[in-house]
Amino acid sequence: MQWMIRGCARLLLACAVPAVGAPHVPLDDHVVLERSVAKTADAGEQLARDLRSALAREPRNLEAAMRLATFYVQKGRRDSDPRQLGRAQAALAPWWNEAEAPVAVLVLRATIRQSTHEFTPARADLERALARDPRNAQAWLTLATVQQVTGDLAAARQSCTRLAALAPPLIHVTCTAAVDGASGRAEEALSGLTAVLDATPGSQSGVAAWARTLQAELAQRTSQAQTAERSFRAALALDPDDAYAIAAYADFLLDEERPREVLRLIGPDTAVDSLLLRYVLAARAAGAANAAEKTRVLAVRFAAARARGDRVHLREEARFALHVTGDSSEALALALENWKSQREPADARIALEAALAARDSRSVREIVAWARSSRLQGESIARLLAALERA
Amino acid sequence: MRAWVAALLLLASCAAAAHKASDSYLTLQVRGTSVTGQWDIALRDLDFALSLDADGDGAITWGEVRARHGEIAAYALGALTLKSDGAACRLTAARHLVDDHSDGAYAVMTLEGSCPGEARALEVEYRLLFERDAQHRGLMNLDLGQEVRSAIFSADRPAQSFAAREASRPQQFAAFVADGIKHMATGVDHILFLLALLLPAVLIRKAGRWEPAGELGPTLLKVAGIVTAFTVAHSITLSLATLGIARLPSRWVEAAIAASVLLTALDNLVAFLPRRRWIVALVFGLLHGFGFASVLIDLQLPASALALSLFGFNLGVEIGQLAVVAVFVPLAFLARGRSGYRRVALGAGSALIAIISLGWLVERAFLIPFMPI
Repeated sequence: MQWMIRGCARLLLACAVPAVGAPHVPLDDHVVLERSVAKTADAGEQLARDLRSALAREPRNLEAAMRLATFYVQKGRRDSDPRQLGRAQAALAPWWNEAEAPVAVLVLRATIRQSTHEFTPARADLERALARDPRNAQAWLTLATVQQVTGDLAAARQSCTRLAALAPPLIHVTCTAAVDGASGRAEEALSGLTAVLDATPGSQSGVAAWARTLQAELAQRTSQAQTAERSFRAALALDPDDAYAIAAYADFLLDEERPREVLRLIGPDTAVDSLLLRYVLAARAAGAANAAEKTRVLAVRFAAARARGDRVHLREEARFALHVTGDSSEALALALENWKSQREPADARIALEAALAARDSRSVREIVAWARSSRLQGESIARLLAALERA
Repeated sequence: MRAWVAALLLLASCAAAAHKASDSYLTLQVRGTSVTGQWDIALRDLDFALSLDADGDGAITWGEVRARHGEIAAYALGALTLKSDGAACRLTAARHLVDDHSDGAYAVMTLEGSCPGEARALEVEYRLLFERDAQHRGLMNLDLGQEVRSAIFSADRPAQSFAAREASRPQQFAAFVADGIKHMATGVDHILFLLALLLPAVLIRKAGRWEPAGELGPTLLKVAGIVTAFTVAHSITLSLATLGIARLPSRWVEAAIAASVLLTALDNLVAFLPRRRWIVALVFGLLHGFGFASVLIDLQLPASALALSLFGFNLGVEIGQLAVVAVFVPLAFLARGRSGYRRVALGAGSALIAIISLGWLVERAFLIPFMPI
């Protein structure tokens, strides 16, 4: 009889824990459901609240709207949290659909649109802003970024040139080096960037972290693994939370077949989908115990993004399809869709990898031609181009 | 124990707090003039709009959410308008729960309401959070009975219209049969009652001891008697209640159903009910019929569809019930000779059913929700 009671008790206890993923009533009032920003501690949040109430009274208060939107854009970048972009957009709502909005609004609107991969309207906003204020350094820099991301390298180089007279040398040189590094001149770009980094120690940390990350990527592209390693670490020392730098370093470590270091770099509970992808790739390569669980989590997150119609993660989804679910034709379709808007070296690489795996070199003919004409460098790209030629 | 469970949930929800743009998930079922549904809204968004973290310590607790349920419902439902052929429908929040999505914890409201008339065209206007987060999206699943539609609401597209296709009579009937099957399949109390009734059907009680029944024939006859008695009884009360001839308060019906499961399970351990099981099935079946009826009553069917729906729904319940019998009885008959059947299936099984139904009884009689099922 006793075994029976014990067995029942055990079963009942098992039932008493609500299943995760089913609506339930928490066990008591003290259960913590979600983390919020601690209000007493955060001066920025306090300021944001004041600005929000100012805007509630007067929605077209340009100064308050700009300060609030800038706060959210910066917060979104710091935390890699797309929710903040929607909040910034809401602050700019009175001007969001105005073609001739104030220049500052146009530039910030372009930044938000670029972050959600609306590259064409972002570029139009920036061109309109620069027509009215040709000395706006931020607008030239954002324009150069949009042009480079969309593969218009000649225009991007011109935009960077305009920064020579308007911004500190490190910004101008980093902008140009990014374009040169994607168009056959990675060695020169690297030495130019290294020279200016050495000449301007103690630059503003955000800019310096950006420059160091690019330095690392250029070194990686020119097969200088040790320099790349040093520069990635220097970038992360300047800004340990820079999601772009972490992702780039993780990709480097994955190429170097050092997955265990990726697991330490990112950690299993990352909130950022692009980093979770790297974690999953590394966990599978290292045979980590949580690889299957994290794969499921990432698949659910991609599905949730798709359900709302997001197209921001196409490159990551293509990598997931190719390297995790092993569906090469799905990966190729995603990579080609991604290529329509994004044309960075990493976008070319995933498309070529997927085409090779799907034995479909015809569909990437245009990308192969693009890689050759822009003289895209790097061991992985060279290997892929050679393999596709044989195929 | 409690601290341990709380810690586990904390880990679960913290681990899931990923970054994603803001979405809410709205499902609506429209049947006749009645509307039911569920709305999941991220706690991070509600916190942003309503400042849920009352003590400002950076942690949103269930207590803090619970204290604001009225405001949450008013805020959300104030941003959702449903119109059937131009006339506004009424919607209220019935229950407040929480759930974990891939990007953190969500407040879950179950919705109930009704429209002035049966909708040919349903207009949905959704304006939640847009003034605070211009990239918020409302992801809706609208079940119109014959078809399920999905839609995404955004600041640029806050109002959308859905025309219901005219359903044919057979389609309506099939939908009610499906509703009946679904109700049986998800009504754990009815299934446990059936199991408690049938567990000893493959055995014979001799001098207070259970022995395996000899032949298949008499056993099947016994099972058929029990099932028929249950069916006749619940069909009677289901019809009486749906037609409005007899109604009982649903709280006491639900509690009495729990009690019927408890008594039947206890009787398997210590006999005190009538030896003829079909009598037990008949008497308690009357209660279960009132329980089935609550589903149909909630649908607020037009009188024209009542007879059809009553028959269809009842047929669905019987199909679900026969499926349980068809799976359980052959297995039980094969296993009846083993001592494990009497000890584990009948003994421990009945004890477990008794414990669960006792939980329901307390929960339903005193309105303190704590049972996970």
